[in-house]
Amino acid sequence: MMKKLIQAVILILVFYLILKLGIPALGSFLHHGTWPVVPTNLMRIYVFFIVAGVLLYLTFNEESAKELGKPIKEVYGNPEKGGLRMIVIAVIALFGGYITYQNVKPSFEAPVELRSIHPAPPSSVEMWGKPYNLLKLTNPFREDKANFEKNAREGGIVFFKNCFYCHGDKLDGKGHYNSGFSPMPANFVDVGTIAQLQESFLFWRIGTGGPGLPKEGAPWRSAMPIWQHFLSEEEIWKVILFLYDYTGHSPRTFG
Amino acid sequence: MKRKELFILFFTLTLTLTLALYTFAAQGDKDAGKKIYEKKCWWCHGEKGEGNGPAAEFLMPPPRDFTLGVYKYKSSPPGQVARDEDIFRIISDGMPGTMLGTAMPAWKDVLSEKDRWDLVAYVKSMTDLFQTEKASGEINFGSQVSSSEESIKKGKEAFKKAKCFECHGENGKGDAIKKLKDDWGFRVWPRNLTKPWTFRAGSEPKDIFTRVSVGIPGTPMPSFADPKSENKLTDEERWHVVNYVKSIQDDTKRLKEGEIVVKAKYAEGNLPEDTNAPEWNNASATAYQMVPQIIAKDRFFKPTNDGITVRALFNDKEIAFLLEWDDRTKSIPGDADAEKLAEGEVLEDAVAIQLPVTIPEAMQKPYFGHGDKEMGVNQWYWSSGNATAAKVIDSTGLGSGKARDAAKTDVKGKGEYKAGVWRVILKRSLTTANAKDDLQFEAGKFIPIGFASWDGSNGEKGSKHTMTTWYWVLLEPKAGSKVYTYPAAAIIILVAGQLWFARGMRKDYEK
Repeated sequence: MMKKLIQAVILILVFYLILKLGIPALGSFLHHGTWPVVPTNLMRIYVFFIVAGVLLYLTFNEESAKELGKPIKEVYGNPEKGGLRMIVIAVIALFGGYITYQNVKPSFEAPVELRSIHPAPPSSVEMWGKPYNLLKLTNPFREDKANFEKNAREGGIVFFKNCFYCHGDKLDGKGHYNSGFSPMPANFVDVGTIAQLQESFLFWRIGTGGPGLPKEGAPWRSAMPIWQHFLSEEEIWKVILFLYDYTGHSPRTFG
Repeated sequence: MKRKELFILFFTLTLTLTLALYTFAAQGDKDAGKKIYEKKCWWCHGEKGEGNGPAAEFLMPPPRDFTLGVYKYKSSPPGQVARDEDIFRIISDGMPGTMLGTAMPAWKDVLSEKDRWDLVAYVKSMTDLFQTEKASGEINFGSQVSSSEESIKKGKEAFKKAKCFECHGENGKGDAIKKLKDDWGFRVWPRNLTKPWTFRAGSEPKDIFTRVSVGIPGTPMPSFADPKSENKLTDEERWHVVNYVKSIQDDTKRLKEGEIVVKAKYAEGNLPEDTNAPEWNNASATAYQMVPQIIAKDRFFKPTNDGITVRALFNDKEIAFLLEWDDRTKSIPGDADAEKLAEGEVLEDAVAIQLPVTIPEAMQKPYFGHGDKEMGVNQWYWSSGNATAAKVIDSTGLGSGKARDAAKTDVKGKGEYKAGVWRVILKRSLTTANAKDDLQFEAGKFIPIGFASWDGSNGEKGSKHTMTTWYWVLLEPKAGSKVYTYPAAAIIILVAGQLWFARGMRKDYEK
């Protein structure tokens, strides 16, 4: 007798769980270390359509509609089931009260701040009072094969005098100051950072630091210093050489 | 016959080779270790292992010097060299990273077990010591005493008897008046025992027992298991000390994942004037990590303070913040005790709150380092030299800060130092007549807030200080009556609706 109703409940539950857990799990699989939940507003719309869809499906013809309605009719209509009726009425009313309370109680959740992690670079940038065309800029030390090891090592020394306390001894973004910052320092070992970028992008990001970010990159939060104030052009190119050499990544090239 | 001999020869050879390889693996291959060292380790520990790599000058504590063969965190009996397992453990697990930890990361995620043993062999080869000496094994742990009120009480007595307080202070804050140096000539501070998450080699009972029993070689921390020591404690007494140390952990100073909002609680009547008033316990305490200022010249790398704990209360007129942090030294210029302890000149201890001039409407905030030209900040600054007042600094970018005329502000400050802890109140009216220059507080709105602090005995002054990124302060609005009326209405409607529905169903059913 209850078969149709149970079927409806199970169907709704399965679809709900797919949204609640399945989507974040898929996201976690695609981008390791993340757990992208479906926003509450969107979830409400989805749940509405799921319930409507399941009911439509189960009341496709009159017979199945009747079967679905049968247990409901039993509980609310059968004069011999007064006790059960009172319990069902109370549970549903209390549940409604609870949902309402959840919605009106003051919420102290901090605003979510979104920011673009790799914002589009400008076509040119001025550093040390000179203009640089970022569309054409390449690392002058990349082609110097004879001195590659020496230059990368010098870049490493620049890294371990200036960068490691945030970006980490292992270049994994976990330096000893890392947890004091938001956003967290970039993890260069990860395939999603320097491996996706051109050397000119790194040159721009290092040279102009956090305050050099466009607004979508939330420049007011980044603790990346403006390195043109501390380092020379040569030192920045060498440290970029080191980042790729140490991690084994290759820079993205033009074209 | 010949075949059999060949077989025996082959068998013996294989056996010898396997055995040789096995021993090799256990001992590590120092030449293979050297290759790894030259890629991963020398940057801090130096080319020859002297602890003087390019990164060393930015680190406090400094990287280990391997050429002396002295290892601070070891588990062999006092007087003996470190065990291979001790060196292996530190390479594998590192030393706690954040909150004043060292820069030594855990290498087990990028180096194989063999790589790590090879490194042990290589760093041991940097001194002659290990050619002649070998640890006999682990210290004797006796039988562990589980924690109880009685054991903690006994531990406290033993803490007194063995004179632990002479360095670690009466309350374990590491604030006893002693200027300590290690064998390398570096200034060292006794551990703040109320922050076990900063213990270098772990804070499990067994780890603490090991430190108390073995001491920390190269530093003034002695062994309390050494029969020659007049402060020797028995195994059982040392376990009591462990339980005592565990019991004084100060959880209000511990960072908690995801805690980014200072929740200001509404208070009836006047806000407390006393830094130790019980009313402060009504407000929830949240802790934030301080990092040294590294974004602008002159940068700073060797802080002594690693965190700040914040509570806030407000009434209809005012808001008051209680800022609390552990500081081993009460630094006031001219103070005789402070001069005995300081490195160089005694400067002021200080603390500051940073707020935007206006509550941001959208995502954009002022730059977290002193604001920017688009959006300015107010900084409320308190210092130990003038402990019953506060200044307001207006800033629209690094280096642009100007202290406001005292007549044009009503921010009040008051600070008190007690047993290794600074507690400072900063208070202001919620709104001011000067809305152009002052933040106007509004309940229910998330307002960006940041903090900074200076340890005067550690040479911190001006740009050399510790700071936080932007967090939030929220003045918790009074909930109002709708929290009760709305759910009640929902319940009444649902009950009435269902009864009405049931009536209809009943008629239907009877048919």
